[in-house]
Amino acid sequence: MLFNSLEYVIFLPVVVVTYFIIPVKWRWTFLLVASYFFYMCNKVEYGILLLFTTLVDWFVAFQIAQASTLKRKKAFLAISLIANLGMLAGFKYLNFFSESINFLLDSFQMQGSLPVFRILLPVGISFFVFKSLSYTIDVYRGIRAPEKHLGYYALYVSFFPQLIAGPIDRSSSILPQLHHPRDFSTARLISGLKLIVWGIFKKVIIADRLGLYVDEIFAHPEAYTGLSVILATVLFAFQLYCDFAGYTDIARGSARILGYDLMINFNRPMVAKSLRDFWNRWHISLTTWFRDYVLYALPYVRNKKVIFSRLYFNLIITYLLMGLWHGADWNFVIFGFLNGVFLVIETITEKKRNWFLDRTGISRHSILNNLLGNVVTLILIIFTLIFFKADNLEESLLIISNSFDFSNLYASLWKILHDNELLFGIVMLATMLVAEHIHEKHDLVRLIASRHIIIRWLVYIGFIFFVIIFWVQQKQEFIYFQF
Amino acid sequence: MTQKTIIRFLLFLTVMVAVNFILDRAFKAFSVHNAINKTMDRQFEEYQGTMKYLTLGNSHNCINTYILDSSFNYGSPSENFIQSYYKLKHVLEETGQRPRNLILQADVSSFGPMIANRFEYNSYWIHYIDYFELARIKGNRDVLDKWLEGKFMSYAGNYKDIQLSIFYRIKVKTLEIYNGYRPHRDYRNFANNPNRQRTAWNKANLILSPDIYMDPSIAVYFEKILQLCQKYRINVMLIRIPMSKEFYEEECKIVPVDKLYAEVEEIACRYPVYDRILDYHDLFSDHPEYFFDPDHLNIKGADLFTEHLVKDLEQMDSASRAE
Repeated sequence: MLFNSLEYVIFLPVVVVTYFIIPVKWRWTFLLVASYFFYMCNKVEYGILLLFTTLVDWFVAFQIAQASTLKRKKAFLAISLIANLGMLAGFKYLNFFSESINFLLDSFQMQGSLPVFRILLPVGISFFVFKSLSYTIDVYRGIRAPEKHLGYYALYVSFFPQLIAGPIDRSSSILPQLHHPRDFSTARLISGLKLIVWGIFKKVIIADRLGLYVDEIFAHPEAYTGLSVILATVLFAFQLYCDFAGYTDIARGSARILGYDLMINFNRPMVAKSLRDFWNRWHISLTTWFRDYVLYALPYVRNKKVIFSRLYFNLIITYLLMGLWHGADWNFVIFGFLNGVFLVIETITEKKRNWFLDRTGISRHSILNNLLGNVVTLILIIFTLIFFKADNLEESLLIISNSFDFSNLYASLWKILHDNELLFGIVMLATMLVAEHIHEKHDLVRLIASRHIIIRWLVYIGFIFFVIIFWVQQKQEFIYFQF
Repeated sequence: MTQKTIIRFLLFLTVMVAVNFILDRAFKAFSVHNAINKTMDRQFEEYQGTMKYLTLGNSHNCINTYILDSSFNYGSPSENFIQSYYKLKHVLEETGQRPRNLILQADVSSFGPMIANRFEYNSYWIHYIDYFELARIKGNRDVLDKWLEGKFMSYAGNYKDIQLSIFYRIKVKTLEIYNGYRPHRDYRNFANNPNRQRTAWNKANLILSPDIYMDPSIAVYFEKILQLCQKYRINVMLIRIPMSKEFYEEECKIVPVDKLYAEVEEIACRYPVYDRILDYHDLFSDHPEYFFDPDHLNIKGADLFTEHLVKDLEQMDSASRAE
């Protein structure tokens, strides 16, 4: 079920109304049933995978907590890791490994090949597996006690607003909220609805509109050069942001109406002044997941001479895995690897850059330095996103080489300037970025809420109908649904 | 929740519903496309005499009804076989009209997934299409969004139509429509386009898909049209409208054209009412001046093409009479 579908428009109000009408003690049961229904709308069989993860991790977490020896704890954690990552590997990475090995065998002209299966990737598997896995690791580390109630745990894993594409909230944040459901609140309803409408605006007005242009260029990279390609790669970064941040807003808004607070997943990443800053603002729930459960878990040497090189190595490995998390393709591996390498370079050169600034008398917090940092960060991120968007390595390289070809500059410019849809999308994008900037400083929502009711309603109703009228009719799935 | 909050909430909802109602009604009344389509509907209902030829299709279909006697051109922009089926069903079941021949536009793009999933002007099509049946056949509940749009929120996502309606409202009143035929008022000359191949490439890639050359739902509705004609004993002729040479070359790069038409013939031949395919796709291969873009004839091209068609139909008529 898509958030931007008619089904969800019916589903959400029905769930909200029923949820608050029924007795409190039945609410978790109802929400659990609704969440499974939401997930199984995509494919009924997917529910089994969700149930499997839930049952394994709930049982394993108990065994870990009760285990008397570290060895036993590790054994049970291994069961959880094998079950979850095995499922992920089977559905998502099996063909990737088979095809890669077959390619190697072919390259060395060796006999034999591994079979390639036609497996449909269950939606949201990367998200709910990581959510469930974080719980067992937390129990193993002694950060939290195991959840006694299977129903609440099952609801934590399957909670519909965040089931398909996150945020990957931790159990320590969600489970206490599930145990103590809040009563209906008008303030939460209104604030949740505002968040949903804002999310829909980002998705259907900006992301889908920019997507029309971006998809055309990336579908035929051999046919476009120079400015067209550069603009498409730049706009893809913003399309991805609006698409995913829009999804997250709808998810958070839906949960808020029901009385639950989900974590913020995006914090204006496009104003980041460095790559580190960017990854602290972009898909925060995934970045922190990898930080806590991969980067911190990787072995490092406690020797001052090698500690940094080991840390850098770990950083690259973490980002490489984060890239692979997005998709089973070498393109995603390169995307992650490049980000890791760029981050390491940024860290290594930090002292030298600061020394240079001090010598030239430019303040580290000056507008010039911030702007330069922002531009460089965006260029690097946009460059790595070429690998994220393109279908394969050849296409990525073609796009990169074509972006330096300015032989058709005037034709490209003419096409861009005559594409009303694209120009409107860029204007809307600029409006959104300005609105986010103002909101950061003045709390735009509160500013509007403090106005007279007639003005307030005019703004709300005007905005809602603006979204409905300028809705892009060619419905596109959320980009992160494929992961 | 206080009583005041409930009242405010209900009031807000009421305002929303009222604004939606006004916008929906205004769009239905003032939309350019609705106005044109309704004019065609009215002309069809008022049609006097024997209707020898009924033509269906999309904007490629430019059969001039001034030239082809006793005919009605009921094609409309972006119309696909699904819409054509429901319109034909309505014509045959609800109106008294019984055309002798159906000339059904069957271009390469008529069978592709792009046009199969393109449902525009739903506030007009809501009168014809059974969206629930369509959702069942397509196995896609998203079609119901179109029903909702057509029924209650006709303006949703139709900003281009709104813009057209505002700027061209007056012009629409003066548009000449005769037996459904409306000459294309686009005065560009494709021959003057310095980059014809590139323009053709763009257009072909926009409306054709390399993955599927015959959409399953289109195949179903193509057969349904034939079944309907079989039931009412209406002779069916498929027609391939002239395309520019550049466009046809690009089509062939994307779609296995011969394979597609072999399949089309195979389906059509199952029905005795199927007559033949009239293939004019290369009629003006060397005449880009008869097109205003890669795949649309201009007024002159449409007239010349219709004259060819009339000649061929007359020959076919006399041949069948001789038999």
